[in-house]
Amino acid sequence: MSGGIGRLYRGETTFNFFGRRWWGFGISIALMVITVLSLFTRGLNLGMDFEGGVAWEVPAQSLTIEDAQAVLDANGVSSADAKIQVLEGSDGSRIRIQVGAESEAVTTAVQSALAEKASVQTDDVSVALVSSSWGRSITEKAVRALLVFFFVVSLYISWRFEWKMAISAIAAMAHDVLISVGVYSVLGLSVTPATVIAFLTILGFSLYDTIVVFDKVHDNTKRFSASRVSYGDITNVSMNQVLMRSINTSLAAVLPVLSLLILGSWILGAVALQEFALALLVGMLLGAYSSIYIATPLLGILKTRETKFKPMANELHLGAEMERIASSGKKTNRVISGDAGNAESVTREAATVAAALSHPPRPRKKQRR
Amino acid sequence: MVRRLVVSLVGVVVVVFGLLIGNVVAGNVPSLGLDLQGGASVTLQPEGTYDAKALDVALTIIRSRVDSIGVSEPEIIRQGDTVVVNLPGVEDQQRALDIIGRQGQLLLRPVLQAGTVNTGADTTLPGATTVVDSTLPAASGPGSSRRVSATTVPPTSSPTTIAATADSAPSLAEILANQDANDPNATVVLLGKNGDVYSAGPAGASGLVFSNDASAEINNGTWSVVVGLLKGSAGEDIWNALSTRCFNKDETCPTGQIAIVLDGEVISAPVVQQAVFTGGTVQISGSFTEAEARDLAKILEFGAVPVKFSVATVQTVSPTLGKDSLRAAVISGLVGVLLVMLFFFFYYRLLTIVVISGLAISGSLLWSVISYLSKTNGLALTLSGVAGIVVSIGVTVDSYVVFFERLKDELVSGKTMRGAAQRSFTSAWRTILAADTVSFIGAIILWQLTVGSVRGFAFFLGLSTLIDVFVAYLFTRPAILLLARSKFMAGRNVLGVVVPKEVTI
Repeated sequence: MSGGIGRLYRGETTFNFFGRRWWGFGISIALMVITVLSLFTRGLNLGMDFEGGVAWEVPAQSLTIEDAQAVLDANGVSSADAKIQVLEGSDGSRIRIQVGAESEAVTTAVQSALAEKASVQTDDVSVALVSSSWGRSITEKAVRALLVFFFVVSLYISWRFEWKMAISAIAAMAHDVLISVGVYSVLGLSVTPATVIAFLTILGFSLYDTIVVFDKVHDNTKRFSASRVSYGDITNVSMNQVLMRSINTSLAAVLPVLSLLILGSWILGAVALQEFALALLVGMLLGAYSSIYIATPLLGILKTRETKFKPMANELHLGAEMERIASSGKKTNRVISGDAGNAESVTREAATVAAALSHPPRPRKKQRR
Repeated sequence: MVRRLVVSLVGVVVVVFGLLIGNVVAGNVPSLGLDLQGGASVTLQPEGTYDAKALDVALTIIRSRVDSIGVSEPEIIRQGDTVVVNLPGVEDQQRALDIIGRQGQLLLRPVLQAGTVNTGADTTLPGATTVVDSTLPAASGPGSSRRVSATTVPPTSSPTTIAATADSAPSLAEILANQDANDPNATVVLLGKNGDVYSAGPAGASGLVFSNDASAEINNGTWSVVVGLLKGSAGEDIWNALSTRCFNKDETCPTGQIAIVLDGEVISAPVVQQAVFTGGTVQISGSFTEAEARDLAKILEFGAVPVKFSVATVQTVSPTLGKDSLRAAVISGLVGVLLVMLFFFFYYRLLTIVVISGLAISGSLLWSVISYLSKTNGLALTLSGVAGIVVSIGVTVDSYVVFFERLKDELVSGKTMRGAAQRSFTSAWRTILAADTVSFIGAIILWQLTVGSVRGFAFFLGLSTLIDVFVAYLFTRPAILLLARSKFMAGRNVLGVVVPKEVTI
């Protein structure tokens, strides 16, 4: 193991995440603008579980589920989105077909086509308008619960870490959900209750990811508290230290989802898995991205304004300098400001020499006030 | 130290596999949701006059009622003018049907006489021999009335008569058959639980006087039920008129008891302890068991269904997705796990053994809990639930990643495996705990405040978080610490670092 991968493996990378924060913000803002525009112009494609629809019930002596699907397709109703069930009761078996809202003409056409296929009278095929199974009250309750959740979680993060971390974490979560919804709106995918669950999963995943990064930042802030290291440096060092963890965790989480998507829905043909897996895939990638490119830089910006970090606001140590801070907790006098310089240009050899020449950190005496 | 680690490791393995075997032996298997396994479909037909708004309210009440059974994910829709309730699973179908099937007409009737059904030919004479035991310990707090616990006699199938006031008493069965127990204006004979018999007057109030916020509470070790009253003429006034009559034991309510009657069955018949309830709540206390208190609270809370329903049809429904989807989810889930393991093996080498055993432990625990709750609480796994579990693999694995990355840092900086393992666990544990606490908070809030499938999601989130914490501390920690001490690891390349050979004791 040598070169870039080896350094990544040993957690010795020196990517300048904080210096390139505006790239991340720029991309995210662009995506969010697209999302909002799309929500206003295209809206969301809500499925029958949200919007209600039409249901037919047919006596099923000779009719099969495949026949019913064929009837739907012939009348221009997507059978992939239809819910088709067999009902077994005391009065024989019936097939129940539920689809989203359809025009009256289509409804009647399907009714007579079904009757013909099942060789019964048209009147024997019942048609009923069906309400949503996911009613407005469920949505309201879920939204309210989510708000309470945001509030309590920010209290917890404020208590465990600090309130600026709470704000950053919540902002990153909101970002993830908004853009995931945007993907659904832009691609016109149909939103089902499973999608909502997927979004909630994403939220949890994103938050979990962010907390792990913040925990490292929190540790390092304490560790560097005496050596006047800028907050930008602290975030850079922390993110590089947890980079391998983030990549590993994301891979471990994404692999099963990819398997659901590719193997489950495309090869084995379980269409129902497709939308769920897609929502999860998008959300997980976003979650990993936002904890590094949104949550932590945002925290950096908030913290740099504090009087403690203000004097070093423009300091950013790159390459070997960053590595030195990471290993020793001290900085040298050479300061590279802004986002100039390139981390990759500094060789590993130089870093080793610098480390070898430096004194080991002296144990600190008690700080004077 | 080593001893404690071994005890913890062996303990976890024994307990987890014991639970698994226990569940397998008891035949508990996870039941599947409507989309995968189908279930029962109940069509409810509204009776009498109703409007669309009342139907919506009724729908909400039915949903709450059905949801309160457990964590299954029922589907409740309005189809035309009827309400269709689809219930997943088969284990708890009967109980669910019982709850939905009730018309939900809750009446409060003054009790004229109370007694029990006897097994003998000569029946008890309510009124003459009072089997009502009113010497219970004083009820807790003001504003409370007390539930009267009647001496319980097993109900009988032999013909019995209830000797009311008349000599030529008709048999109890006759009386029961010849009356309309749901007629609020009639004087009726009603059966209670445990063979109690009540003669009750015209209803003084209906369940509509209660607001929908009944709860079961425990005070000083006894369970009681507290239910709110609606303000003014809709609730309090009606209730107080009835409670005053009973408190004064006038001729319309000589026993001082109010029978809470749901669809003709007396659920409870508390003695009124005060004439006027001013606090806006009614407390019913007595010798309830927890389950009784919760059932009563549920009934009072949702008793006020504004529309009367009759069960039009009960049918079984086939799954909407079917076995193919489940098979696809399971196969791709297993392949996903295999991929993750391959990746880990490539990356963390030997330590992957710990990850695999850890996942086996978490998996078994999850299986046991789901199987157990399927049996007891009617939990049902939907396709999104199955997929959610597949996803949770990633999150569970994260604890290992956090731990191992710290371990690697420590090893790279030149620590011995032993020292590194201990130190890295301490710091990784803090991170894991912080992240899991946040997830758990989320799960609890969502569980408390939502209904339906969001609630199901919250349940699985909370469960997998708890299991994660449990496994990380009780299994992963001892496993790694013991491995770090063993000779096995010495001299091997563990995390891209050759573990220095050290003298082990």
